Formats: sequence, structure tokens, C-alpha cells
Amino acid sequence: MTPRTWQIGSLFLLLLLVVLVPVLFGVGGPTNLLEQVFAFALFAMSYDLLIGYTGVVSFGHAVFFGTGAYVAGIFLVHSGGSTAGLIVGTVVALGVSVLLSLLIASISLRIRTVYFAMITLAVGQTFYVLAGSQMLQPLTNADDGMTVPLPVWLMHDRTVYYVTLLVLVSCVWLLRLFVRSPVGQVLQGIRENEGRVLALGHSVYRFKAVAFVISGLMATMAGILYVIAQTFVSTGVYDVSISLDVLLMTIIGGVGTLYGGLLGALLIIGAQTEFTNLAGTFPIFGRYTILFGVLYIVIVRFMPRGIVGTVAQALKRWNGQEE
Amino acid sequence: MGIYLTLALNGIVNGSLYFLMAAGLTLIFGLMRVVNFAHGGLYLWGAYLAAFTFATTGNFTLALVAGAVVAIVLGVIMERGLIAFVYHNENGQLLVTMGIMLILTELIKVPFGPSELSANTPNDLSNSWLVGQVVIVQYQLFMIAASVIVFLLLLWVLHKTRLGMIVRAGVYNPELVEACGIAIRRVFTMVFAVGAGLAGLAGAIAGPYLGAVTPTMGFDMQLNVFIIVVVGGLGSLTGSFVASMLIGILTAVVSFYFSSLAVLVNVLVMVVVLLIRPQGLFGERESPA
Repeated sequence: MTPRTWQIGSLFLLLLLVVLVPVLFGVGGPTNLLEQVFAFALFAMSYDLLIGYTGVVSFGHAVFFGTGAYVAGIFLVHSGGSTAGLIVGTVVALGVSVLLSLLIASISLRIRTVYFAMITLAVGQTFYVLAGSQMLQPLTNADDGMTVPLPVWLMHDRTVYYVTLLVLVSCVWLLRLFVRSPVGQVLQGIRENEGRVLALGHSVYRFKAVAFVISGLMATMAGILYVIAQTFVSTGVYDVSISLDVLLMTIIGGVGTLYGGLLGALLIIGAQTEFTNLAGTFPIFGRYTILFGVLYIVIVRFMPRGIVGTVAQALKRWNGQEE
Repeated sequence: MGIYLTLALNGIVNGSLYFLMAAGLTLIFGLMRVVNFAHGGLYLWGAYLAAFTFATTGNFTLALVAGAVVAIVLGVIMERGLIAFVYHNENGQLLVTMGIMLILTELIKVPFGPSELSANTPNDLSNSWLVGQVVIVQYQLFMIAASVIVFLLLLWVLHKTRLGMIVRAGVYNPELVEACGIAIRRVFTMVFAVGAGLAGLAGAIAGPYLGAVTPTMGFDMQLNVFIIVVVGGLGSLTGSFVASMLIGILTAVVSFYFSSLAVLVNVLVMVVVLLIRPQGLFGERESPA
């Protein structure tokens, strides 16, 4: 069998397994955890589009995730959980996301990548503060957060599970189309050798901006999925720790591999849940962020391609296609 | 009138604290171009160690020394052990130092717990006077004095001494300095240690001013200081000093009127400055990399 059939075969098996989870294990704990993983996997993949395909690090990608969650949440709350509210909320959230990413791109993508990291961090902090401020209390319920009602057809755990899975799979497919498109190829060129792409006559800034907008859209979508899965939204979705967690998911999975985010999200969310449970008995496990910090360093130092990237490279070598 | 004077004074005090922290970052990020997103972690550890030392010994000088020393030790370990392998790799530095920042922020909670630790002002510095309508606090005067002393001292070392010359030359052309028989790596480690020590000292001084130290104080401070170094111009001490005062006063004024927008205003200042002068207020124009 060729490697390609293996790939497709294993992907199909994995998908089948994920589809069967509610049937095999029932709904509740495991499906709820997986719904979170789906949302964060999409979030991490959107982030990979940025860091992995343009080489730009953002410390504030939660801006998009949070905006998706909040806008969808606000529309759902104020429409009393109607389907129209969900649809309009999604459309508005995506629109806001495009405007926001164009704004951030216009002020920060032309300058050094370090400044981009700083500006995204600052914008993220600002949204965090704004979402919790008393000024916006009628809209966001300030620090208390909002419990979000869902349309009737989304009331069942099993439906939520399949809807989030479906959205994830469609978005993965779209992202895959994008990175394989001519635009995606140019982006990879920018990551490898920015000067050369510029010399070829491409507007590097414009390509980076496109990647940033699409990355923002996907992150917004992830935020909407998160709200549907959690039926609750609070300032936590804008927290810088969300941006940092998703960054970790991306680099653990593998920067520039696109699918790495799926694995990264599963590992990090799984670890977080496990450690939080353990912290009930052994309080020291509540400090698991230390481990995440160590992971940041270890991955950059010893495994810059992440798990998926390293495995893919090993497989290539196995098949005799030395890079 | 009193309110404006009070705001201006508060701004200058804020600015002094910013500068104490920004001075170290100017050395590390501005001059050496190491993107140290763990700078706030050094400040945090300095603050906690100083507050703890003062609470147990009652000796404020010892507390300041403890704050600076712990940051120097951490800084040297970081630079030698972790940052050395990501020199010339900006994204690598961003990720590694952010990892260190997470560790430092989380690790401080192990001995001291996740809630705040109160930091007291020493008795010799806790006088205050009413001049006109403005309350002048002795500790705030001490902070302003400390930042001016640090500013002048660094300016002198960097521009009037042989060591300063080596550092500045090493930043522009490390190979040539190395060829002159100077172990430039060792010099860089030393500069990093000084920058780290300044962060620790800033933390130690910040504690009594804020009244308490908290695990999030490093993160909160760090972003403002990065903005200051960029606005002032990378590598320019004078620029950092001016930008510290500017951001300090702006923060004081903006947070008095709309407290939630202070961060945003600082970012806007940075964006405007970068659009008009990409090299920052006092920075030298650099060739595009």
C-alpha cells in the first residue's frame, strides 16, 4: 500500500471512531470534553495558519476566539436562543472579525514581528478589560458572564456534539484547500524566505494580511463553537492564558503542519482536565502551568517541528524520501 | 488645579517605576535585541523576595539587595541555559521567554500562595506632606530619586566608560569585538545580568508603592514596559526615560477618567509613534533587516 492510502485509511478510521464516541461511551463527560477539544483544535489550526504559514507570533489570538464567543452569545441571549439569533450572531461575529483583523493588520503587520506580538497582546488585554467593564454591563453582563440559551434543536448533547464535529471537519477541509492554493504556497514561501518572495514581486504584506484575516475568521468560528458547547461565556475567553494555551497546542502539535493543532488541543485539554481533577486531591497539581511553561521551552529547544512534524519527517525518511 | 498637579505627580511616580523596569529592558531588548518576555517574571520575583525579606528582617536596604540578587541569579540562569540557543531567532526567543514567564509566575505561587502578599513601607520613608492641595509622599520622592540615579548611572557607564564602549560596539558588530580579544558572550551575559537585576530592583521598589505584591503584577507591568522601550526607540536610554514619563503621565490621566482604557491608550501611543517615526522617539534609523 502506498503511504497515501495509509493516510486516508487512518484518517477515515479516526473520524469513524470520533463519530462513534457518543454511541460507545454515551453523552455527557466524554462528549463535552471532546466538544471543547473540537473548538480548541479549530482555534489552534487557525493559529497555525498565522505562525506556521507566515512566521508571525501573536500573543492575543484570543481576541478573535473571544469575539466569536461573545458576539454569538450576545445575539443568542437577546434573541432568547432562537435559530435566527444564532445565524445572525455568527454572521455578525465573522464580519466583526474581518474588520478587527484588517485593523490590527494595518497597524502592526508592516512592522517587526516582535511589535506584532506586543500589539496583539495589548489588544487582547484591552478586550479582556472591556468585556468585564461595568460600562458594557447591559450587553455582556460584565464580570459575571452570560448563560447562553441555545435553539431547541441544539438542546440535545448528541446534536451539539455532531454539529461541532461537522463544523470542525468543514473548516479543516477549507483550511486544507487554502494552504494548498497558490496563495497558501506563496505564504509558505514567505515563511521560508521573505526577501525572496518580495523579490519575486509579491506584496508580502498583502499575503500576510490575507492569512491573518482567514486565521481570525477560523478563530472566531472556534469561539462560536465554544459557546455552543459550553452554553456560557465570560471574560475568561479573552484571557491571555487562552492565547498562550492555544499557542502551546499549536507548537506541540507541530508548527506549519496544520493538523498538529488537532493533536495539540487533545493533549492540552486532556492534560488540563486531568490535572484539575488531580488538584482536588493533591493541590500541587493546580500549578500545572509550570509544566506548560517547561513544555514551551522543551519544544522550541528539542522538537521545533512538534509531534506531527517530527513524525512526518521520520515517516518520510522511512520511505526513503530524504528531505 | 490640585487635581491636575496630583495627576501629574502620580504620573511622574508611575513613570519612575516604569523607567526602573524599562532601563533593564532597554539593555536586554533595546541594545542586545533579546526579546525577553520573562522580564516581568524577574520583576515579580524581585518584588516577592524583597517583600518577604523586609517582613522578616525589617531591613529595607537588605530587601532591595535581595530583590536585585534573586533577579540577577534567575537572569544569568535564563541567559546561559535557555536563551543562548535562541540568539538570532526572534520567534524562538518569544516562545522560550514566554515559557519562562509562565514558569516564574506560577512557581512564585508555590511558596507564597496565589493571593497577594502585603508589602510595607519602611518607617524612614513613610512621611507625607501637604503642599497646597497636593499630598507629597516621601516614598514617591524616593522612587523618583532612584529612577533618576539609575538613569544617570547607566548613561555614564554606557557612554563614558570603556565597558560601555565595548557593549555598544558589541551590539553593532560582535565578531569584530571578539576579534579584538574580548569575550563578547561574557560581556552580554553580564549586561543581561544587570538588566535582570534592575528588573528585580524595580520589583523590590514597586512592592511598598503598590502596598501588596501579587502573582499577576509581572504580566501587568511587562507590556507597558515593552511599549515604553519601543516608543523611546530601541537601545536609547534617554528615549526610555522620556517615554516612561510620557506613558506614566498618560496612564495616570487616562485611568483617572476611564480606568479600563489605559492599556489601549498606551498601545495607541505606540502605534502612532511607530507610524510617524518607525525607529521610536530617540532611536537611530536602522537598515531594514
